[in-house]
Amino acid sequence: MVKKNNPKIILTLFSIIVGIFIATQIKMKLEIYAPVTVKSLQMTKAEIASINNKISELNKIIKLKEEELELLENIAKGDDNIIDILQQDIKYNKLHSGQTSLKGPGIIITMYDNPEDRTIGFDLNDDVIHDIDILNIINDLRIAGAEAISINGERVIATSEIKCAGPTIRINGRSSATPFVIKAIGDPKLLYASVNAPGTYGDILKIYDIGFETTVEDSLFIPAYTGVFNFKYAKPLGKGD
Amino acid sequence: MKRFKEYIALTLVSIFLGFILSIQFKTISKTVGEGVLPTQRAQQLAVELKKAQNERDAQAKMIEELETKIKQYEMSEVDKNVYAENLYNDTMKYRMLAGYLDLEGPGVVIEINDPPVDLEYGEGYSIVDFLDLVLQVISVLNAADAEAISINDQRYTAFTEIEKAGNHIEINGVSTSAPIVIKAIGRPETLESALNLKGGIVTELRYYDFLVQVNQEKNIVIPKYRKIKEFIYSSPVEEIAN
Repeated sequence: MVKKNNPKIILTLFSIIVGIFIATQIKMKLEIYAPVTVKSLQMTKAEIASINNKISELNKIIKLKEEELELLENIAKGDDNIIDILQQDIKYNKLHSGQTSLKGPGIIITMYDNPEDRTIGFDLNDDVIHDIDILNIINDLRIAGAEAISINGERVIATSEIKCAGPTIRINGRSSATPFVIKAIGDPKLLYASVNAPGTYGDILKIYDIGFETTVEDSLFIPAYTGVFNFKYAKPLGKGD
Repeated sequence: MKRFKEYIALTLVSIFLGFILSIQFKTISKTVGEGVLPTQRAQQLAVELKKAQNERDAQAKMIEELETKIKQYEMSEVDKNVYAENLYNDTMKYRMLAGYLDLEGPGVVIEINDPPVDLEYGEGYSIVDFLDLVLQVISVLNAADAEAISINDQRYTAFTEIEKAGNHIEINGVSTSAPIVIKAIGRPETLESALNLKGGIVTELRYYDFLVQVNQEKNIVIPKYRKIKEFIYSSPVEEIAN
């Protein structure tokens, strides 16, 4: 065998070299570039978009605060009065905390338990409206940008509880029973879609034969929160003792 | 003849390798974008992200400065007469209610961690898929007379929505993910026992294998609502004087 370059041997050698080469390459890449996957790229993109949203939000707040500051500076000049400004502030915060009755376009949802008698064997729980059903509907309405919501005449605010209490549901410390009438002010089209579009919670309720009717209204009246609120435990930051 | 066979085998293997490589390239250029290395794109995005974050932080700082300035002005004016002082206290109360004020006080902290991933059966699930339960926790806290609530440092207000978006959730339009930390100011004993009621919400969470911790704390800080809710559709109804 004088023929030195036996193709078989050369081939084997090359294959081994290529194999080692690829293997090291992959190992190296894993160490350095492991986080770069298509998924991580998309996630970073989404994060940037959300931060940009936040920035435009903050810009609005800055503008508002600057206006407020300007007003206060005008006091020093004698153009404005602190009392007017404070009254304005109270009005604004009353509006935002649900202490003001509102009117505007929106939707009315009427929910009631399944009125039909079921044969024995069906789960009766599927026929009855629970607190979680109402919580989900309220959450969907908020996602759709509802500006004010009431359930059976009770304004839903930040501290409103919606809790099953035996045969009734407790809202703002008052008992309510079926049928539940939920009113929401906001963009009527969006609100309507948020509880009626296929796959939404409202749509699923209908499958369980829970009564669920939505009507669009041009003008709705939503009452103010009537409860009295006293902060016993919470204090403004930096003022507690 | 033997030689011929070898050549055929070699050719086939080469063609096969070529196919695999070209498919790989095609997929990458489709998903990442042509002519761009994924690493390059990632670096670009990282730079963009950093820039956006810096801008956001700068703005947050600016708002803080403006707020302290406003507070100083207000205080100096308010001290001048009693009527203004009373009005100012009223203002504070409504700001607290609306959620436009940082609050502190005693209360409870609930931490909900995802169940450990079961290695044997593959993917686990997250609290993100059980937002019903989060809504219920908040309702229970409100029923126990919580005065202020935050979820992952987002103040819970009358407009706060909890929305699932992919594998994370958005609260007040800010994206966040598990673990979920809910803080509530109120009477700590009442809040804790309402949560820990037998068959109550914590039991239900634990039934789904979530790791839940409820702790009473003497001083909890709940941040203010950082969003402007605009009332576009609704207008206030003038209240009849009584």
